[in-house]
Amino acid sequence: MDFAWSDQQRELLDAVGRFASQQLNYDVIENDRDSVFNHDAWKKCGSFGIQGLPVPTEYGGLGMDPLTTVAALERLGYACKDNGLLFSINAHLWTAVTPLVYNGSEAQKKKYLPGLCNGTLIGGNAMSEPNSGSDAFSLTTTAVKKGSRYILNGSKIFVTNGPVADLLVVFATMDKTRGPEGIAAFLVEKDSPGMNVARKLEKMGVRTSPMAEVFFENCEVPEENLLGKEGGGAFLFTRSMTWERGCILATAVGSMQRLLETCIRYANERKQGGQSIGKFQLVASKIVDMKLRVESSRHMLYHYAWLSSHRKSVYLEAAMTKLHISDCWVKCCEDAIQIHGGYGYMTEYEVERELRDAIASKLYSGTSEIQRNIVASMLGL
Amino acid sequence: MKILVPFKSVPDPNDATSAGAAVSAPKSVINPFDEIAIEEALRIRERGEATEIAGVTIGAPAVDEQIRAALAMGIDRAIRIDDSRALDPYAVARILRAAVAKETPHVVIMGKQAVDDDSNQVGQMLAGLLSWPQATFVSKIEFLDTKTRARCTRETDAGLEVVEVNLPAIITTDLRLNEPRYVSLPGLIKARRKPIEVLTCDQLGVTVRPLTTVLSVARPAKRAAGTRVESVEELVTKLKQEAKVL
Repeated sequence: MDFAWSDQQRELLDAVGRFASQQLNYDVIENDRDSVFNHDAWKKCGSFGIQGLPVPTEYGGLGMDPLTTVAALERLGYACKDNGLLFSINAHLWTAVTPLVYNGSEAQKKKYLPGLCNGTLIGGNAMSEPNSGSDAFSLTTTAVKKGSRYILNGSKIFVTNGPVADLLVVFATMDKTRGPEGIAAFLVEKDSPGMNVARKLEKMGVRTSPMAEVFFENCEVPEENLLGKEGGGAFLFTRSMTWERGCILATAVGSMQRLLETCIRYANERKQGGQSIGKFQLVASKIVDMKLRVESSRHMLYHYAWLSSHRKSVYLEAAMTKLHISDCWVKCCEDAIQIHGGYGYMTEYEVERELRDAIASKLYSGTSEIQRNIVASMLGL
Repeated sequence: MKILVPFKSVPDPNDATSAGAAVSAPKSVINPFDEIAIEEALRIRERGEATEIAGVTIGAPAVDEQIRAALAMGIDRAIRIDDSRALDPYAVARILRAAVAKETPHVVIMGKQAVDDDSNQVGQMLAGLLSWPQATFVSKIEFLDTKTRARCTRETDAGLEVVEVNLPAIITTDLRLNEPRYVSLPGLIKARRKPIEVLTCDQLGVTVRPLTTVLSVARPAKRAAGTRVESVEELVTKLKQEAKVL
């Protein structure tokens, strides 16, 4: 096994770190308070190349393998403190870009991928419904073919990037009697007639990532915007969810590494009772726990990505990676606040925001309970 | 029009914030003033006034990382003059004169100084050695008369001074000329295919011997902590007796 990065990979990772630390960390506290999406930072990430990392070069991407991609995202998470921006990028990459790369027609890829890569287009997906969350395939949104168009009706909730998205991957039922096999996916452009991006949703964390409820009322979608096949929606969703579970918390590993370093610095600087608080074993022990969580998370992430790079099955590994990293991230944030004491609870120290951002990771892309169900089922339970 | 941009590799002045998990040794970067020079050359090419930008630097193979960064920003090709000695400004200027003779650029744009030694001499010496006009500390460049002259705004203590120089000329850049672009990942990947030519001083036909030697480099002494005084009288006494400034 080779644990070393090549010179080219190292050069790429350093460039990501330099770019993110210099270009993306402004107004983060204010934007979090006011729930503002940093569109300018999004465009910068696009022209820098983040959104194109896993996309083949012929469609305007960089054609990076999964391992290099997650390492680059990890470095992005380390150097960029705007977890909402990172969440928006992740949603865009794994729920819109990846399905297009793997299931899009040549014409669809040529039309949308270059813009999705270079930062001019924002993507997202609309799967969850008010009464269909973990029970993902019980969709009530319907799609009916009428001439050369599909007509969509229904409502979607928790649509990440909804208020700013140019393109949504929308899942709808075409034939309820066929269950998951009756579902199809559609590429719906913003301002499509009959699509209404309603209420922007207020959230506890990742507040700089906009989220909305979206309604479809006789929304017309041209037939060439069917993504994959009629009835192929569930397969497409499961595939893109596996990508999402494996990769979405790469940025969180970087965030944990940054928190660890922040805590080590603080524990060495802060003096109580005549010594650095890091000399107190109860504080040191917390930092050791943080270190173990970062390292174990990183190893699971890289192993998942390595398997994915070698085209091995990753259904189990993706679920375990998501479950483990989200758990570690929340615990690291709690420890980071505790180590900082009262200061950690203050907004200006930028630790409390990390906890609010981290908690969402146990809910999106399948709750921790759903991940446990997947792992249990793969263990024959 | 062809532009030559000499640049230097220096320790990263922002090392504390330059990311990279577990960075130990200070990283090297392109001297920030030279980065401004590279950016200006790129902008001149983008507005159609230049057709080629070559970069030149002096150093051991380790500086290839900064060369690739310059190529990734967008310069067309680069020359590394292989010399790992600690060179003083006059030696650097003489080597660059040989590089200019080889490349015959219409204009040389470079940083006004390097942030490691702050000498601020190479541009001026190079102009002197070549008998070319020079415009230093420049915050604006315009080309006039079908690119036979350049009008440059210089930042001086007295204010903004506008000078016109006949080309070829040496222009050194000040902080406010532009804000350099960041290296993008597509740029970085493209840079891998751009040529880096490695030459020795011998090949350039120049022999240099540093005229000055750095004896030692030390951190400035740590500042003593301040003290709080109880009264104006005490302050005046301390200023007289301890600080001896009154």
